[in-house]
Amino acid sequence: MTPLSNQAFVDHLTASVQFVLPEVALVGVACLLFLVAALRCSRPLAMVVALLGVVGAGVIAALVPEPVGRFEPSLAPIDPTGAASFVRWLALVAAAVYVLLGWADTRTDTPAEYHACLLVAAAGVSLVGRANDLVSLFLALEMLSIPTYVLLYLPSRTRAGQESAMKYFLLSVLSSAVLLFGFSYLYGLAGSTNLHVVVSSLAAAAPHKDLDPAVSPLAAVAMVLVIAGLGFRVAAVPFHFYAPDVYEGGPTGVVAQLAFLPKVAGFVALARLLGVMSAHGGGLPYDTAHTLIPLTLWVVAVVTMSFGNLLALLQDNLKRLFAYSGIAHGGYMLIGVLVACTAPPASADQSGSDALLFYLLAYGLMTVGAFAVLAHLSGPDRHVETVDDLAGLGKTNPLAAAALAVCLFSLIGLPLTAGFVGKLQLFLAAFQVPTDTKMKSLFQVLTVIAVVNAAVSAVYYLRILGVLYLRAPFKPAQPTRTSPQLVAAVACAAATLVLGVYPQPFAEQTRKAAPVVAAR
Amino acid sequence: MDDLFSPNVMRWVLLAVLAAPLAFAAVLAVGGGNARVARRLAGLLAALHLGLTACVVTPAAVMIAEYGGMNDGQAYKHFRPVFVPGDTGDGQEHRTAWSLFFVGKPNPAPNAPQPAVQFYIGLDGINVWLVALTSLMTYIAVAVSWGFAQERAGAYYAWLFVLQSAVTGAFLSFDVILFYVFFELTLIPAFFLIGGWGVGGGKRDAARKFFLYTLFGSLLSLVGLVGIVLTNPTPPGGWMNKTRGQALKQGRGTISFNVSDLMRSAARWSDEHDSAVAEASFKAEQTPKDTGRREQAEKELADATAARTGYKTTQFWLFFLLVAGFVVKVPLVPFHTWLPAAYAEAPPAVTLLLSALLAKLGTLGLLRIVIPLCPHMAAEYGLAVFGTLGAVGVVYAAFCAYAQKDVKMMAAYSSVSHLGLLALGLFALNPEGLTGAVLHMVNHGLTAGGLFAVVAILYDRYRTTDMTHLGGLMARHPALAFFTVVICLAGVGLPGLNNFVSEMMLIGALFTPWNTAAMGYGLAVAAAAGIFLSAWYTFTMLRSVFFGPVRTPALVDGTAAPADLTGREVIVFGLIATLCLALGLYPQPVLAVMKGDVAVVAYTLQSARESVNRELAEAENRVSGTTPTQQPISMNPTLIPAGAGRGGPGGPPAGGPGGPPRPPQQPPR
Repeated sequence: MTPLSNQAFVDHLTASVQFVLPEVALVGVACLLFLVAALRCSRPLAMVVALLGVVGAGVIAALVPEPVGRFEPSLAPIDPTGAASFVRWLALVAAAVYVLLGWADTRTDTPAEYHACLLVAAAGVSLVGRANDLVSLFLALEMLSIPTYVLLYLPSRTRAGQESAMKYFLLSVLSSAVLLFGFSYLYGLAGSTNLHVVVSSLAAAAPHKDLDPAVSPLAAVAMVLVIAGLGFRVAAVPFHFYAPDVYEGGPTGVVAQLAFLPKVAGFVALARLLGVMSAHGGGLPYDTAHTLIPLTLWVVAVVTMSFGNLLALLQDNLKRLFAYSGIAHGGYMLIGVLVACTAPPASADQSGSDALLFYLLAYGLMTVGAFAVLAHLSGPDRHVETVDDLAGLGKTNPLAAAALAVCLFSLIGLPLTAGFVGKLQLFLAAFQVPTDTKMKSLFQVLTVIAVVNAAVSAVYYLRILGVLYLRAPFKPAQPTRTSPQLVAAVACAAATLVLGVYPQPFAEQTRKAAPVVAAR
Repeated sequence: MDDLFSPNVMRWVLLAVLAAPLAFAAVLAVGGGNARVARRLAGLLAALHLGLTACVVTPAAVMIAEYGGMNDGQAYKHFRPVFVPGDTGDGQEHRTAWSLFFVGKPNPAPNAPQPAVQFYIGLDGINVWLVALTSLMTYIAVAVSWGFAQERAGAYYAWLFVLQSAVTGAFLSFDVILFYVFFELTLIPAFFLIGGWGVGGGKRDAARKFFLYTLFGSLLSLVGLVGIVLTNPTPPGGWMNKTRGQALKQGRGTISFNVSDLMRSAARWSDEHDSAVAEASFKAEQTPKDTGRREQAEKELADATAARTGYKTTQFWLFFLLVAGFVVKVPLVPFHTWLPAAYAEAPPAVTLLLSALLAKLGTLGLLRIVIPLCPHMAAEYGLAVFGTLGAVGVVYAAFCAYAQKDVKMMAAYSSVSHLGLLALGLFALNPEGLTGAVLHMVNHGLTAGGLFAVVAILYDRYRTTDMTHLGGLMARHPALAFFTVVICLAGVGLPGLNNFVSEMMLIGALFTPWNTAAMGYGLAVAAAAGIFLSAWYTFTMLRSVFFGPVRTPALVDGTAAPADLTGREVIVFGLIATLCLALGLYPQPVLAVMKGDVAVVAYTLQSARESVNRELAEAENRVSGTTPTQQPISMNPTLIPAGAGRGGPGGPPAGGPGGPPRPPQQPPR
């Protein structure tokens, strides 16, 4: 019996279309832009069309109801529950910001292609949040990666740009292969590519694990491969080597995407594969009953945040610095993944998955905001490469400096910014894990390590802040024009403050998006 | 008139006291382009704020002194702030309904602890004077900056007001996360003030060092806070529940970020563990030997003991994490290395605020957060570790102060020395020490603030505060010299002036029966030596700067010789000197207001100390092989007699010096 002869399966396959209408719209507009690019398309036109596409997708997402009731998790390839709509809105808002940021990168003759690729990547991220099948998940991840290769190459055809595009391409393809290899193990173990079935059958095999302390070696191998494959996307140490070089060589707007979109996709995919972030919940296959996977994630988290922060201390180039800072923040977010997937909360206290989602949102705002300021400052006549290039910005460009300062304070994790609330949630989530599991008090130790890292990170963020405000400008003040990048930067900074001052509505959304999966 | 000063009005005024400086800052940032306009505006607004603060502090002090933390003659076991904005209104619990951020599901019951970070501010006997001090010191800082801020004056005063708002917020907070928020927010204005308007060549490094050092400490404190909150949820049966030893079996309750809730929970969970051990041990004893039931009972005892050890170990680590941020902020001596640079490089008025106000954030944090939330660890390790550090600091910083050639640096180290004394008395953890500590926070604010105001005037007149360049200023500035002498005399603890009262209390607190003789007296000797040394370095400075032949730096291109104090400055110093004298002659009104809340902390510590002693006695019994004599653990669940206030501890402590550990005494009812 082939799947196609199973009527219920075919019905679900067909019905899946209604769960991806906004993504279809995004890709449709992208196709339109590719067509227009064959003619001649001016920069403002491409930007307006792309923005309209994002807004249209948003309108569809907001207005067209999704018949969630008619969906059966063990059959459908698309899962509209759990974190799906949170990730979709995250992707759409990010896409809108990136379209504004793209203004700086589309001075060349390919604005339409640039924006088309951007929309496809955003659709890919959104699909990662709702893929319920290993195949659809892989396709969604590739929908994010492939446009990124093009984007890295399109705006700046310099040697550095080419090198960074090539580096990213080769390593990304390698990581996809590793991920696929892991997926093949999961398929072999569960006998299905459906994510819900995979997770439930791994979790159901759990009672045997108590008798035999060795978790099924194949399941462990599969998950280690998946962590390696997705570790590349989230730039976790030791899969981070591409990040500093690619960031340094890439165009600023694209680097801003690279700093955020793959992290969203990677963390959400990892969480889904480990059994959380969907409303129906198949159980937790890798909880603290065995230490192998939790300990692996623990070590990766510690190494990622420490390595990222220590190397960021040594950087002078701003983009390299933000690359390492992004690696470090990936380490903090891994705490969320670790807690969510291995140690669910006993009561309704802070859970790891909503801490992770909130931190993703906060991280996106502050990092993209910082890159937006860099994109605003760089122009054909002025290059902002090193930390010293920002000297005296507080006097010459007060608005841009203020936006950057807010983002930096948030990256440090000072109160009244989104970064503080995000860190507080992560700490609460990690600290409340009971100490009577096999992980003993490692989660509490992890919290202390994270705090020490946060203090270390303050050193290099504060250095930028000092340069911004406490040093005299090298060059005479230039007349500043308002640019779309500046609008994006100010919007991100303002949102960072809003999230820091009154996080409650956003925290409620993350809590809704990440229902707690009960422990076995 | 009654309506005007009713709590319903006052809680909005209190909110205005907190928020107004931010509005002032906005006004100055926008409209303070001209230095002359900016300073006049800032002076006016600061004076206005002082008036507003007086409007709320006075009725609060009257109200707090009236009920004195007592209900029908009995003291409460937790802080009860008044004028809480968003008060849920039944007048009993003094909770706020203003939740900022829910961590778990909201608790639907009325007047119940919420698992939420709340905007919970209010006044009690401990912070009411500090809020007043903040307003006063900001006014003084603005007044002594008159000639200082010429460049970007609007921004300078704006940051001063932001700093004021953050400090006030931290003083007012009764929610641990809210406290942390304000505590950290002080870093931003201080960073820009030191880095932007600093007077030395290394101002940027000093600003960065100050920021990073404090941030590192306070982040550790954040983990401590998170841990305390998570390990001390509200007991399922509430704090009033008279049955002990049951809550452990009923699982976790709602977590709370509220200091008043947390201090009751922390005390209760420790009691619960003690009761569980006592019960299991009693049961094991009663069960016939060599039976399966005995084995079972002994296993239960072992489990209960292990659970208590686990809880205590966690609290031990949390105590040291929690204390980290505050000892850096105070600073206690090995953690003070950020201070010389920051104090030296900061503008004089900012140094004034750093010493008079920001240091108090550290000591208030110890008193409000660390000690009530970790009473057992504070009782066990507080004096031994941090009291010793304080004592070392008193002497070490006094010698450092003597070695300084700069008036500003001498004042900086003198401040460290006095704060070491404060910490020492605070960790004596008895009513005398706690009262002395609260009073010394105010007194030190006045005298250290006054001394730095003198430094600001010297800097304003001569652009230097180097003692080798200044001498005989008495001849040129008689008024300044007069006030300086008054402030210095207050600082060294001359009877009749303010520091004498609080220093005597702090030293007196060390002579308590439960500190082993050598330690308590040794620390007291160190403290007394510090006071003597303070007279030594202070008078050395006075002699060299104000007496002897006139010696000043060359005047800049024929400007007129620097004048004596202007009218505005006379008002400033007159205020400080009057307050020093008033608090020295008649401190009773201030003490009466803080009495109730000091009794709250003292009671918490008294029960913690008894619990610690009980545990030590048990351990000793186990070692000596005798069966422990189990006393029923009785604790009046809600109220204690007023006697635990200033009148001394409720009962003689168990296991005093020398004698064998005695079974604990019941606190009197």
